[in-house]
Amino acid sequence: MKEQWRLLQTGFSTASTNMAVDRAILVANSEGKVPPTVRFYGWTPPAISIGYFQSLTDEVDLDACKKLGVDYVRRITGGGAVFHDKELTYSIVIPESHPEIPKNIMNSYGRICGAVMKGLKHLGIESEYAPINDIVTGGRKISGNAQTRKLETVLQHGTVLMDVDVDKMFSLLKVPNEKIKDKLIADVKQRVTSIRHILGKDVRFEEVAKAMKKGFEEEFHVELIEGKLSKGELALAKKFEKECFSAKDWNHRR
Amino acid sequence: MQSRSIYKVPNGKLLKIFLQYDEKRNLIEEINLMGDFFAYPEETVELMENKLKNTLLEREHLLKKIKSIIKEHKIQFIGLDAEGLTQGILMCKP
Repeated sequence: MKEQWRLLQTGFSTASTNMAVDRAILVANSEGKVPPTVRFYGWTPPAISIGYFQSLTDEVDLDACKKLGVDYVRRITGGGAVFHDKELTYSIVIPESHPEIPKNIMNSYGRICGAVMKGLKHLGIESEYAPINDIVTGGRKISGNAQTRKLETVLQHGTVLMDVDVDKMFSLLKVPNEKIKDKLIADVKQRVTSIRHILGKDVRFEEVAKAMKKGFEEEFHVELIEGKLSKGELALAKKFEKECFSAKDWNHRR
Repeated sequence: MQSRSIYKVPNGKLLKIFLQYDEKRNLIEEINLMGDFFAYPEETVELMENKLKNTLLEREHLLKKIKSIIKEHKIQFIGLDAEGLTQGILMCKP
């Protein structure tokens, strides 16, 4: 019989709720209270998340965010700034000691990205892992990923781009050199793609989630059983949201 | 003296540094390491920032110190390494 992991479909939430929920699952899993968990979610309003080591005001035009109604949050994972709009975001939380998770961090990125790649294949998209933390199709990025390991537990979250608006993205992100902004935007347009662009049609969030579920099940030889956040996780998420992810101290700490 | 640098680590990530240093003594007073790199555990980057205070801004010395902090605290960088960090810091100096 296949090992059973939990699947959470938590729908669309704010940036601070989304990051609080991922962290709450990490803590609950580290305490042995919940099984390994795969979660699919989206962002409303659209939001920018920045990596743990990034400076918020260096990376994000906060006035533009306010004007366009875009949320922002600092992640507990490293990596770069991401504009979360038309995408499916996944997270996986699993003990470091689980036999399916390589001890080597880079290898574990490759393994978890393997699940996303298998999911994309179910949508008819061939892709490959592009270290350090991207998945590309036809040489263009379709997914970015970031992992942390805390409390002997792995949390990796990442994006699957369903559609992308590079111009809007760059109206929200700051660039190191304004003089070359136009060139940078043109470069990024060449280097980034989406499910819509590849398939030439819109694919619904639910359909992407269904494909990703299969991808994770195949990659890890498990069965994902749909579940809910526990009462403990909900309480923890509320606490993390208030004390951390919606707090100025956290978001502006660098 | 305060200064900043942006350095793309070869085969790695973009490192952004804020440095405050004593020009006369050539010592680091305050340093912030920022960018889209990964470090495990993440909290060790703050430790690195603290331990680099009062370090001489000279390549060999800085590299040796960074390597010893990495070793002592078992820091694992992805998209960044001791050489890249040293280079980024030294680029803050005119």
